[in-house]
Amino acid sequence: MDTIKTFFEGGVFIYGCMMLLMYAVLAIQSYRGIKLFRKRSSFTDYYQLLESPLTPGISVIAPAFNEGVTIISNVRSLLTLNYTRFEVIIVNDGSTDDTLDKLIHEFQLVEVDFAYNERIKTQPVKRIFKSVNTAYDKLLVIDKVNGKSKADASNAGINAASFDYFLCTDVDCIIERDTLLRMIKPFMAEDYRKVKEVGEPCPECGYVHIEEDSMRVIATGATLRIANSCEVDEGVIVRVRPPEKVLPRFQEMEYIRAYVLGKMGWSMMNSVPNVSGGLGLFDKEIAIKAGGYDHASFAEDMDIITRMNAYMIDNNLKYAIRYIPTTQCWTEGPPNMKVFSRQRTRWGRGLSEIITIHRKILFNPRYKKMGMIVLPYNLFFEFLAPIIEFTGIIYYIYLIATHQVNWLYALILLIFVYLYSVMITTLAVCWDQLTYGYYKTWREVIGLALMAFLEPLIYHPLIVFFALRGYWFFLTGKKTSWGNMQRQGFGKKKT
Amino acid sequence: MALLQLSAFPSTIESIFRNAPLAIQIAMVFIVVAITGTALAYYSILRSRYRGYRRDKKLSVLLPEIDNLIIDEVLTNPDMQQDIPADQVPLNLEPFQRLPLDRPWARQALTDRIIHFRRNVRGNMGNLLRNLYIQLELDKDTMKKMKSRRWEKKVQALVELTSLNMSIADVTILPLTNSRNRELRAAARHAYIKLSKNEPFKFFDVVTDPLLMWDQVELFRIITTTEGIAIPNFARWITYSGNKSVVSFCLKLVVHYNQLAAVPAIIKLLDTRDHYLRADAINCLGKLKVAEAEDQLVRIYTSQPLHCQIEILKAIGRISSGRNIDFLKTEFLHSTDFDLRKSAAKSLVKNEWFAKQVIDELLATSSPENLRILKHCMNPLIKY
Amino acid sequence: MSKILLIEDDEIMPKIVARILPATEYQLDHVSNGKEALLKLEATNFDYDLIITDIMMPYANGFEILSKVKNQSRPIPVIIVSNAGNEDMIMEGFKLGADDFLKKPILPAELLIRVKRLLMKNT
Repeated sequence: MDTIKTFFEGGVFIYGCMMLLMYAVLAIQSYRGIKLFRKRSSFTDYYQLLESPLTPGISVIAPAFNEGVTIISNVRSLLTLNYTRFEVIIVNDGSTDDTLDKLIHEFQLVEVDFAYNERIKTQPVKRIFKSVNTAYDKLLVIDKVNGKSKADASNAGINAASFDYFLCTDVDCIIERDTLLRMIKPFMAEDYRKVKEVGEPCPECGYVHIEEDSMRVIATGATLRIANSCEVDEGVIVRVRPPEKVLPRFQEMEYIRAYVLGKMGWSMMNSVPNVSGGLGLFDKEIAIKAGGYDHASFAEDMDIITRMNAYMIDNNLKYAIRYIPTTQCWTEGPPNMKVFSRQRTRWGRGLSEIITIHRKILFNPRYKKMGMIVLPYNLFFEFLAPIIEFTGIIYYIYLIATHQVNWLYALILLIFVYLYSVMITTLAVCWDQLTYGYYKTWREVIGLALMAFLEPLIYHPLIVFFALRGYWFFLTGKKTSWGNMQRQGFGKKKT
Repeated sequence: MALLQLSAFPSTIESIFRNAPLAIQIAMVFIVVAITGTALAYYSILRSRYRGYRRDKKLSVLLPEIDNLIIDEVLTNPDMQQDIPADQVPLNLEPFQRLPLDRPWARQALTDRIIHFRRNVRGNMGNLLRNLYIQLELDKDTMKKMKSRRWEKKVQALVELTSLNMSIADVTILPLTNSRNRELRAAARHAYIKLSKNEPFKFFDVVTDPLLMWDQVELFRIITTTEGIAIPNFARWITYSGNKSVVSFCLKLVVHYNQLAAVPAIIKLLDTRDHYLRADAINCLGKLKVAEAEDQLVRIYTSQPLHCQIEILKAIGRISSGRNIDFLKTEFLHSTDFDLRKSAAKSLVKNEWFAKQVIDELLATSSPENLRILKHCMNPLIKY
Repeated sequence: MSKILLIEDDEIMPKIVARILPATEYQLDHVSNGKEALLKLEATNFDYDLIITDIMMPYANGFEILSKVKNQSRPIPVIIVSNAGNEDMIMEGFKLGADDFLKKPILPAELLIRVKRLLMKNT
């Protein structure tokens, strides 16, 4: 019994230290990344892309399901993004409300014969619409049979997309105007390139052959925030404010930590594990070759990134996934416990799914960083964390019951973990302020940062609980009755 | 009593620390680290907020003042109405002394504002704005930044100099064009092209690292907007450059300047082994509407990889000489690849003038899928 | 006195245009985004002699305004002033009935001449 005890305690302690170390590494890497980003933005002129004929085209894909209330203003805000070569593809995923009628009426749409190439299999596409008004000629509306998932709808959008890059988003996300300009830049300016000249000039063409060992950027992501208390006017954010309600406020803090500190740090190490489903810009060719989104997945965004990674490595291609630290997208966070629990349970389930589906990549040295760092990190520190924490608590209770606790040491350890987590979160808020001074007053910033003190006590236990519930549903294969609501996890926007 | 307890506190902690196992000791150390870290984070958040607030407040006063001065002294300068060349217009600098120009941040704000104005107007007014920048000796600040040890300052300076069209001595820029820092190197090259009096395109000969797409966008803008730059025949680099990205970039410039003199060099490029470059060459021939190349394109068609084939079909559409309608029709009817059929259909539609009959015939006889492709291409509402 | 509506989200451009077009001859109204522009046009019952607009703006872009204006019984001449000099966009603008296109940075004299010419043509 004692050996088990020592083993367990030692194991948990090492595990804990590793986790804290990971966070420290991420914090430092993301600080480097943000510093570099700041230096670059001190002289980068994004607007030159607007006047250039060399600017790559982007297809913006936004699936919509029963969004009748907000569809018009959201489509309008997508159509006024600051970019020249782009199209907006709205995929009406078999809405049962007036979403499609409103679109047809407002944007003067007519049905067209469209050369739709079904490279990724989806539920049947019924009709495709274009506007007769040249002012809306960037808009393309697809009406398809409901596929019960965002993935299926996005895939239909990818099939219809005409440009080499696509931005995947949600109709109910609010995107900052310069998003396309900022997110396309990493694709155009990946500077890891080694070039060497090989041999004498070729007798046939006169060229010295150059072996180009360049890295292809296959996806970029950016920070997401919670829109709940922001002032929104017809699909445009006019005032950024941290959520007033407690639950969304915790989420805002969590998002800042996950994106600004987490993803940005991973990006510096070129091992981004995931590009959010709310906003991601992808290389279409690679996304299609990797098979597009998986409509059966509960975490289709992470799944597609994992498969794109695997595709690149299988074909011996160098690649990168990049993150930019600025916030480009605001999304409605679950406003109440019911929706929130549903969302997090789904995430937990998705994570277990990813780990099982891609177990061949896990610890496979052939998949380099993906197999040796990204997925193991997800296994140990994302997937196993709730389980270990939960068993830890049970163990503690057992110790208390059997009077084996050294209260002083227990207290020190608790304070240590508590303060460390507070520090990491506060640093994330601090880094975030370095990228751009979000929020209007310092009170709002501090108000948000102070949530870090409450998080370990209130928010974190909830997350652990919902994650475990998700694992349980995964194990038991519970059929969820969410149906169409699963992607509708977000609350409806007020107008 | 309380004081006594307080003074005993450190020693209690110390004794706990000494007697604790290693894990607890580490934890105790990190408690201190975490408290310090959190405090520092709060301090830096508040500091940056305060600085930002101060900066915004100062600028909100300064910027309208700057705007008014520039408008009064430069834009509505009475001499401007009479088309007197900018360098002969005397500027009244006195009102500008009202600004806190002894402060670097104010000088920077003024420089940025002048650049912002110049982004909106050019011609004589633009030149006069540049004179203002020089006469207020703001260029000295920029030159100071050039000498900074920090690379991003140097890049900022180069950007300022290029946007204000200030000439710099070659000796200052040339070393930077070989900098180890890619961004500095790129900025220096751009500045060199824009500002060098000698041979602006010299670095096309020497550059060995690939021009990134981002750099190409910047270069393209600089080359196409600089007034009085002598545009060379880009065929020189298309033929002789060993750098693929330079060749591909020159092809884009050839299209922009419609340099038909470069056509022989581009046709020769069709023999290159690099199929990406070949696709670029085909694309360029199409955009230049080189009808003489059409037959060769059709001849090499079958041996090309897919993306070159698509480019060939597109090129035939762009050239639209009507000579290869049958070829397009065959491709449209018999190709198994969707994109090839679509490109063929598009090019047929672009050749409509000659292919009217063929299109009508295809509309009447095509399979449902092909019919949809053809209708897609004929629909004026669909662009791509 | 001609009434001109300037739709432009850059903060400096309106000030420049206001100087180029003398206040004695032109009454210049300025709005800074598509929504304000449409509101203004509706409030004044499209009572303008000329519209100068940017293309890319929040809420509604220049093309949308252009198509609204050109669908009126009395179409108002429109000059597009934009830094997006992309050929496709220029074509699109003309397709929607734009009367002129100026690329930023503009030549003040050029703007003045084109404004005068368009106003002359329509009187």
